[in-house]
Amino acid sequence: MTAVSQLALLFIGAALVNNILLTRFIGLCPFFGVSGNIQTSFGMSLAVVFVMMMASSATWIVWEIVLAPLGVGEFLYIPAFILIIASLVQFVEMYLRKSSPVLYRSMGIYLPLITTNCAVLAIATESAKPGFFKMNIALGASLSLGEALVYTLGVSVGFGFALLTFAALRERLELAPVHRLLAGSPIAFLTAGLLSLAYVGLSGWFGL
Amino acid sequence: MSEWLRVFRQGLGLENPLTVLMIGLCATLAVSTQLQNALFMGVAVVFVLTMSNVLISAFRRQIPDQVRIPIFIVVIASFVTIVDLVMKGYVPAVYQVLGIWIPLIVVNCIILGRAEAFAYRNPVGLSIADGLGMGAGFCLVIMLLAFIRELFGTGRIVWFDTTLISMPAGYAPPSLLLLFPGAFFVFGLMIAASRWLNERMASVRAPKGGAS
Repeated sequence: MTAVSQLALLFIGAALVNNILLTRFIGLCPFFGVSGNIQTSFGMSLAVVFVMMMASSATWIVWEIVLAPLGVGEFLYIPAFILIIASLVQFVEMYLRKSSPVLYRSMGIYLPLITTNCAVLAIATESAKPGFFKMNIALGASLSLGEALVYTLGVSVGFGFALLTFAALRERLELAPVHRLLAGSPIAFLTAGLLSLAYVGLSGWFGL
Repeated sequence: MSEWLRVFRQGLGLENPLTVLMIGLCATLAVSTQLQNALFMGVAVVFVLTMSNVLISAFRRQIPDQVRIPIFIVVIASFVTIVDLVMKGYVPAVYQVLGIWIPLIVVNCIILGRAEAFAYRNPVGLSIADGLGMGAGFCLVIMLLAFIRELFGTGRIVWFDTTLISMPAGYAPPSLLLLFPGAFFVFGLMIAASRWLNERMASVRAPKGGAS
């Protein structure tokens, strides 16, 4: 198999077959929190793609250069990675506020929220030390930086796609007559269940 | 003492983190396929939540306001590392299944949320009550969810290779309940049921709101 098709499989596997929101339950807080309307979901998705790419490259580099050679990775990776992500997000926020007000307005307010999004920590850890989370069987024992970035891109695009689909459904639900006990969050969960059912149908595609 | 009980009870009922505040959902939905795993997850969360509440509340006057979030995260991450290593060492079978979700307790919104909303503003005693109460509320919901999913999804409840309860012979379990969509369905219905229960209680004027 050529390298390109390998990467394409990695991308599809991460984005659709092992969709992080609907088949792994990672990062559900924004999935229910900001999916009220499409505009905010779009800003959130953009911010997630952006932060995940940054976080994955940072943790990959730190793992390869500092934690693994020193042999302290096993018990320092949790504090190390979360601190990297938190400070990175803080820097990105400050930089965006100064340099690009337009971009800041569209995704800036979601940046602090993303620090405590489990999806970012999960994927950053998975890129640095794959296999740990059993996220995707297409991953080998270790990833090169390029593979890690393609994988992260796939996951974050899948995140955005699922979030936007769900937001569109929820906007329709607002107008639908729903029983008073089910209105609001219960019906949102049932809808998410149906959406997830569709993704489960993809499992096994390309042997992923 | 009555204040302590009031704070404790809030986590179980009126401010239940899962069914009312809807935070910390990821882990709940993911590990609730088996009662045994749910119990260990619940205990891990109670431990981290209470300990980080205590530490943050004890140092609340020393922690500078501007850098409080990173400090909270470091405190939480240290306790999570303890849980991570202890579980890996003593219950490897459970750790194998929970794997991903133990490190992810760091970013569980419940813990950071309580640190910020409660422990940073209240004395140590009350923070313990809050940690235990919120933790108990979390345990209650996650174990109920796991109980329903395991019993109806596999037909029996298993505790470390011993079958505790099993459905009558001939029961064909729908595997949908164990799959990812099942978690969403059962949880959605559970919220609806808890609303119905709350409405009933409010109409009966029962003084306690313990059910979730």
